[in-house]
Amino acid sequence: MTTNTDLAVQFAGVGKKYPHFTLDDIHLEQEEGSIMGFIGANGAGKSTTIRILMGLVHQDHGMVRVLGHTMPHQQAAAKFDIGYVSEDMRLYRTATIDWHMRFIRSIYPTFDQAYAEQLCRRFDLKPQQKVKGLSHGQRVKAALMLVLARRPRLLVLDEPTTGLDPIARQEVLGELMQVLSDERRTILFSSHNTLDVEQISDSITFIDRGRIIDSGDKEGYLDRWRRMRVDVPPGVSLPSLPGTIQKASTGRITVLTTNSFDPAMTALCRDAGATVHNIDRMTLEEIFVANVASRREGVLA
Amino acid sequence: MNFNMIRLLVLKDWYLQRWLIIGSLVGGAMALAITVLTGKAGFFIGLILLVTVLVVEGAQLAVSTVITERKEQNLAFVMSLPISYREYTMSKILANILIFLVPWALVLSGCLIILLAAPGAVHGLVPYVTIMGAYLLVSTCAILCVTLMTESQGWATAAIIVGNVGFNAVGYLVAHIPGIAATMFGVRVLWDSTSIGIVLAEFASVLLLLTLTFLVQSRKTDFL
Repeated sequence: MTTNTDLAVQFAGVGKKYPHFTLDDIHLEQEEGSIMGFIGANGAGKSTTIRILMGLVHQDHGMVRVLGHTMPHQQAAAKFDIGYVSEDMRLYRTATIDWHMRFIRSIYPTFDQAYAEQLCRRFDLKPQQKVKGLSHGQRVKAALMLVLARRPRLLVLDEPTTGLDPIARQEVLGELMQVLSDERRTILFSSHNTLDVEQISDSITFIDRGRIIDSGDKEGYLDRWRRMRVDVPPGVSLPSLPGTIQKASTGRITVLTTNSFDPAMTALCRDAGATVHNIDRMTLEEIFVANVASRREGVLA
Repeated sequence: MNFNMIRLLVLKDWYLQRWLIIGSLVGGAMALAITVLTGKAGFFIGLILLVTVLVVEGAQLAVSTVITERKEQNLAFVMSLPISYREYTMSKILANILIFLVPWALVLSGCLIILLAAPGAVHGLVPYVTIMGAYLLVSTCAILCVTLMTESQGWATAAIIVGNVGFNAVGYLVAHIPGIAATMFGVRVLWDSTSIGIVLAEFASVLLLLTLTFLVQSRKTDFL
């Protein structure tokens, strides 16, 4: 059982209203030492949720605790142990990477200079280079280097791989994989790119239109979600199958998507006179798209 | 309040604005030299340059430390550091005021020394110049106040324009206050109650503007 003290992140009934967007009744828990992928389409509310987590935006209502600190009031103490990198974060363009390293080192005594230099070499960053001369990928890597070298307890990464070329993305994800070997490290990784999230996360939370629509461990998702192709002869009707969230028929063929797959479903179909042709595992992207589509259609409401 | 973090953020702004500080110091020193060394015409050109240096520095500071920081998306980086928004606001106020005070003190003290020590200088101008110097400090604080509260280039520009127009208006009005007008071109420095009252009111305005900025900013809930 998870106690409150084991939770790195805890949202309870959190809401925030803007003129054209509402973040509604967010409940979210992340255990220390876990890697959570936070997936949503553009404008779904990922960044707003993360900004509330960081204390940069104050929630209208609800409780937020991060590493035992109540947000936003204890944000200064909390942020000492949080490393935050977001896609829309920029370092000072007229200063060098080395100046940024010295600046961060003056704030965080835990800053590991040797590790920072090692990361610079691995990311092909030159400390004497000014930020204005860096490519987008290099800027993201520089921001990540500054954060990783502090060895924060909680890493909050808001779309860090957005806009990166495949090589830079792989380098960034590779470095994050290295960081994951430290089991005490907690990572919250938001992205609309499910492939990136799938590579490194052990739990997944989906958000859509300002609401958390599903949350659970990644393997559980991949095990539970299936797409079944069933031959349904005329006069036969399919039995009610648990967790069916999408059903599309063309002639005799019906394609079912379920989020609660059980091998016994095959027997249920057979007993009803239908034949199951295929049972396909779904990728995280397919699960995400199906989940969002069904919620929007109100199937799971 | 984490004063060590505030100190580090102030030092950061000092470093990032180092060329502006150096430029305004060099510009101020050159304008002072022109005032002293180039005769009567040079005296007035030098005064205009001195005012220009301070006006440009005050306006440029607020824009580059607040608006540019937001526009170039550095704010997310700064606010990811272990600070609250109150500490961020405090650091911005201190950085701007301290940076501005360096050339301001140089220029104002230079002007006053010239007025008191230069051969043939009109000593009676000392209260008037002090009032106008203090006005530039008030104007810079007002620009900072508007810029921090609105974080808008448009409002900052409006504040800069109002501050500049205000300089001419205040200069004209103060020069026509009977007590000041009667003595400003005299050979003696005469601080009457009107002059002292205006200078005190100006410094009170500085405190009021900065306190107001801090209090309003402390109540903000969204920073990005």
